[in-house]
Amino acid sequence: MTHSLHRRGEWDDLKDDFVVLGCPATGINKKGSAPKTQKFLSICYKHGPINLGDMKTGNIYNTTMDDILSHVTDGTIVQCTFDNREKIVALLKELKENRPGISIIISGISDIVQQCMEEAGLGRIHTIEYSLGTWGRTELLPEFEILKTTTMCGHAMISSDLVKKLVRDVKRGRRTVEEACLEMAKCCTCGNYNMTRGIKLFKELLPLYMVHSLY
Amino acid sequence: MKADPDKCIACKRCFPYCPMGRIQRFKRHEKIPGRVYIEIDQERCTDCGVCLRANICPVKALYQPETPWPREVRSILSNPLIEFKGSQVPGRGTEEMKTNDVSGRYRPGEVGVGIELGRPGVGAYFRDVEVVAMALAPLGYEFAEENPVTHFMADRKTGKLREDILNEKATSAIVEGKCKIENLPAILEAIKKAATKVETVFSVEVITKVPPEGEIPIKPILEQYGYWYSINTKNNLGLGEPAFKFYDDEERRSHDS
Repeated sequence: MTHSLHRRGEWDDLKDDFVVLGCPATGINKKGSAPKTQKFLSICYKHGPINLGDMKTGNIYNTTMDDILSHVTDGTIVQCTFDNREKIVALLKELKENRPGISIIISGISDIVQQCMEEAGLGRIHTIEYSLGTWGRTELLPEFEILKTTTMCGHAMISSDLVKKLVRDVKRGRRTVEEACLEMAKCCTCGNYNMTRGIKLFKELLPLYMVHSLY
Repeated sequence: MKADPDKCIACKRCFPYCPMGRIQRFKRHEKIPGRVYIEIDQERCTDCGVCLRANICPVKALYQPETPWPREVRSILSNPLIEFKGSQVPGRGTEEMKTNDVSGRYRPGEVGVGIELGRPGVGAYFRDVEVVAMALAPLGYEFAEENPVTHFMADRKTGKLREDILNEKATSAIVEGKCKIENLPAILEAIKKAATKVETVFSVEVITKVPPEGEIPIKPILEQYGYWYSINTKNNLGLGEPAFKFYDDEERRSHDS
């Protein structure tokens, strides 16, 4: 449930972060949904996502768009990540005119998503899901600055130790910031990692951490 | 996940990829003098497979052995590439609100409530999952039929899980279901109490159908009881076909084209 919901951050760094999902419904429109899902993916691709993928095949940083498209079967759930509000409005306008027929969901700041829907002529959000945050032994969590990066992968496939290791690599000149973020994007199989936001957050992290040795 | 002692050179490159933290230890090879390899703590490993997929091992020492029941539940809930047959959805949850526009799973007057134990990035034992499930069961909380955790219950009326999985661990596991909106305060209070009894963290989420008037019915409740809720949400656009008829008078639906 909700692997794109619990992204942590503030308005400024979440305002250009959108995950658009296409999801067929079991027992309703799942049978014969493959071409609809491929159509949805193709429309999204046209509008320039920063990441895109399906959790079984991978994302555009560890495979190709053709590979992702060819592996779509009935029931495949696909996700496309966007880093720009204008792209979302253009995408929604096209999806309104050219409905693929499967359910479409956007994770993002709800006020902005609602504005985008209105600009595209789609009216109100149909069903909404809120995160009520993290409860329990929160002292086990890494620092909020790291959580902002790691929670971009809802399946927790980007570890906090990896973020720290990459900070160390960049500081030692072993990788560029872009290469470090690419490594994180590859770990998040579904394609939910927003590369643009990731680079911005990573640059903010760099001066905060001096990692001599992890182990 | 395991590392083959005959191949592993203890280079530590896989260490930072593990979402469960430092769960490896060094061992001396019994037959090759001077050879050191790493052993992955099987108790703490959730078989999520990220270290293997990262393709980081220079000698291909990492491998995922076949996991008999009950250990099998670890990869079912932790490896996003594995589909749970009961939900027919890859990953840990269900279609939940993603298809509410066509399924009508959450009707007006109902609230979806999900508690994802172990998230973000801490992991959870099923004994903790049971604590939360059992706290909700008596309060009119209806467990989602197709959710993996519901399938692992020995008694759905009490939320009791099967004994054999209680000491298994997952990267995260979701207690998923719905309740009547009037029960939401009691449900959230029970979750708050359960939070003091578990050895992990959990992320909480609530789902509601947005009525044509646009006033989100759960917001006043969250505000009245002082619960923080996120500015970023997951939003179903209502574009799925065929649309589920939520109201007798469908003209009231403002979002339909």
